[in-house]
Amino acid sequence: MYNTKKTIVAVSIAALFTGSAFAMSENSNSNAEVSAKIDGKYASNYVEIIKNADGKYLDKAVIEAILGEEATHGRNGMVGKLDPANPYSFEVDDSIDGGNHGNAQCKIPKAFVEVHESAAKNYFDDDKFVARGFGTPIAESALEKWNISVDGDGKGLPDPSVGMTIEEGAKIYVQFCAMCHGEFGEGAKGYLPLAVEEDLVTSDFTDPAPMKSVGNYWPYAVTLFDYIRRTMPFWTPNAPYIGDAGYLGMTGYILQSNYLVMDDEGTELEDDTFFNSEVLMKVNKYMPNQGNWFCDHRPVIHNERCMTNCPDEQVGWDGTGDPTKYRQARKLPDGTPQYNVPQRMHEDKPGVGHAGM
Amino acid sequence: MTDKMEEKVALQTDASRNQGRRAFLKGSAAVAGGVMFTQAAHASGGFDPKKAVAPYTGKAELTDVLQDGAARKSLGFGVRKYPYGMPSPFEKEVQRRTLEWLTPDSMASITMSPIHQLHGIITPNGLHFERFHGGVPTINPDDHRLVIHGLVERPLIFTMDDLKRFPSISRIHFVECPANGALEWKGIQLNSVQWTHGMMSCVEYTGVRLSDLLKEAGIKPEGKWIIPEGADASGMSRSLPVELAMDDCFVAYAQNGEALRREQGYPIRLVVPGCEANMWVKYLRRIMVHDVPLQHREETSKYTELMPDGTAQRFSWYMEANSVITYPSPDFKMQGPGKYYVRGLAWSGRGKVAHVDISTDGGRNWKEAHFTSVVLDKAWTRFEIEWDWDGSEAFLMSRVTDETGYVQPPMPQMRKLEGTNNVYHRTAMVTWRVHAWEDGKSGGLIENVQY
Repeated sequence: MYNTKKTIVAVSIAALFTGSAFAMSENSNSNAEVSAKIDGKYASNYVEIIKNADGKYLDKAVIEAILGEEATHGRNGMVGKLDPANPYSFEVDDSIDGGNHGNAQCKIPKAFVEVHESAAKNYFDDDKFVARGFGTPIAESALEKWNISVDGDGKGLPDPSVGMTIEEGAKIYVQFCAMCHGEFGEGAKGYLPLAVEEDLVTSDFTDPAPMKSVGNYWPYAVTLFDYIRRTMPFWTPNAPYIGDAGYLGMTGYILQSNYLVMDDEGTELEDDTFFNSEVLMKVNKYMPNQGNWFCDHRPVIHNERCMTNCPDEQVGWDGTGDPTKYRQARKLPDGTPQYNVPQRMHEDKPGVGHAGM
Repeated sequence: MTDKMEEKVALQTDASRNQGRRAFLKGSAAVAGGVMFTQAAHASGGFDPKKAVAPYTGKAELTDVLQDGAARKSLGFGVRKYPYGMPSPFEKEVQRRTLEWLTPDSMASITMSPIHQLHGIITPNGLHFERFHGGVPTINPDDHRLVIHGLVERPLIFTMDDLKRFPSISRIHFVECPANGALEWKGIQLNSVQWTHGMMSCVEYTGVRLSDLLKEAGIKPEGKWIIPEGADASGMSRSLPVELAMDDCFVAYAQNGEALRREQGYPIRLVVPGCEANMWVKYLRRIMVHDVPLQHREETSKYTELMPDGTAQRFSWYMEANSVITYPSPDFKMQGPGKYYVRGLAWSGRGKVAHVDISTDGGRNWKEAHFTSVVLDKAWTRFEIEWDWDGSEAFLMSRVTDETGYVQPPMPQMRKLEGTNNVYHRTAMVTWRVHAWEDGKSGGLIENVQY
């Protein structure tokens, strides 16, 4: 059954390219030919190709029919997916700048046709909708207390008159944050560190995963203000006795602990810097790791469904095709297989390969 | 065997035992008077009933219960002993469990569902996995509101009764933490499918289509994102593009026929079928329609995947197709060579499961399993396949193909492309090593190993 179905898919795709008489007598639309390419690279009739393949937009043959024979797995394949013209791209045009960025956006790729069709049916093309009038209209001003969101562009930040010096912010930080995150953001009691200098690249896949924190990982500084005002201190979040000024001060101190800068000259935050929303937006523009982000590029893998005598690289650990080559959980010194040994022996910090959840 | 053999019945020789076992393996076994006869085996010749002693006859613990016990000789309890019913006390080991070293406190932690002890495709409400970022609030639904505002024509506030007036939908969907399987990125840590795959559940939700609610408020043309937010201490927020929100999302007030449990967001939660569970905001109280994403901490610092070259992937909403064998799994021990029904779960965040293939030789050859449950969109699907285990070492793997044509990859391939620092979305195949039956005291053990 599998083979039959697969053959049909392959045939219909082949038909799209050749437009042969055989294909016309089969199931495909006679207009289905690759007449044009998006940007000279991608089949412009991708919707048709996907439909003719029974909606299988992640099938290996379909992906190759649309992206070309050279459509590759993983990192190499990703380069194409950063191209907004690529129907498999999650990226929107204005986010591919690589430099000091605005608010990066990602989207549902065009090739995920069923999602777009469903959204069209439920919304974009639903001209028959009549409001039921359940719910009660409410003025935006009545929601001020609830509306604590600050977006990646800084919309929602307090007025620039609100703030405090970094030195004052440090005092608040020590009072409310240091017992879990350390006085200098180094982390404590298993809670997350807020400032580490760690390389995000490891040399061996068995090395502990790098610690990710504000300075070395976060793409936005505004996120920090939104998050700590929303959720911290852990036992009593969004505390009125800290207030916007206090939350800004804490934000400033954490950013200073990460040695972040606010201009091209590399000016760091000083203890007497009055930290307000304007300074925060300056730092936001110079987050060191901001250029290293990309939208979801999965699936990174588009395999064939192999049934018998599958190739060596799909069997076992090391690509030699030997199923008895595998990795086991670590053993205790007496040879007993045990699990989670590094944590139990206090060699590793607790966690799932990173600090905390 | 057992040490409680009774000499007078179990006068066995090796030959008779083996013969008995062979007959047993041929199936249609029947036990009568402590001696096993099988018609099929008899007809196939070479079977001497006089020698046939079933391997387990004479086990006192098997036959003792043939006496009528308390259940038969006295009355049980009456109605409404438990106004809200509870499982039998003999099921007390079936629990969601956590690893206390995983997080520094229990208010920002996770428990795993005992998926090796579940049957079918529905997770009971009391066994649904838990993931909290700020503990579980106990919210009075009379005091709870849902607000839709921002870039809308008409900001609206809904009571819970308002929401229940809308047309309802009921859907069975899996809900999975994207860190499910994260413990296995660097290698094997734990020998149980509850730990390796238990950060997920599958239940029936009932609620209101999000598209109905959003259209009620009327999204302005510049509204491209929705930002749902919870009423709990974590104020959980994520950013969803409007296309995703309008596809098949809904606001659920019920789970498996009753109100949501507090652990799952009582009184209401967002359901984002097929997408990572962090987006399914619990205790939902506010949906802001916005022109740009929030860049919340849970979509930048967390729930993003660090790649081997130091770049990071974000907005990875969909859960890839995935599968796991739940029996036999490392939670069980083989009971001797013979016939087994290998079964497990397969699911895909992008639609229906199309095929599940099983390998017993570490991925060289595959056989297609059949489904023993209904096959639903973005829901657990049960598969099963017959397997004759000859008692030698075996490597069990399952591989799902979903209706989009995506084929679940082996672990070395995923590791090579994605590295091991991602934390999230480890959806490659796992391998259960079945130790050979004649392997000393570890014979028949099932071990979690990694390719």
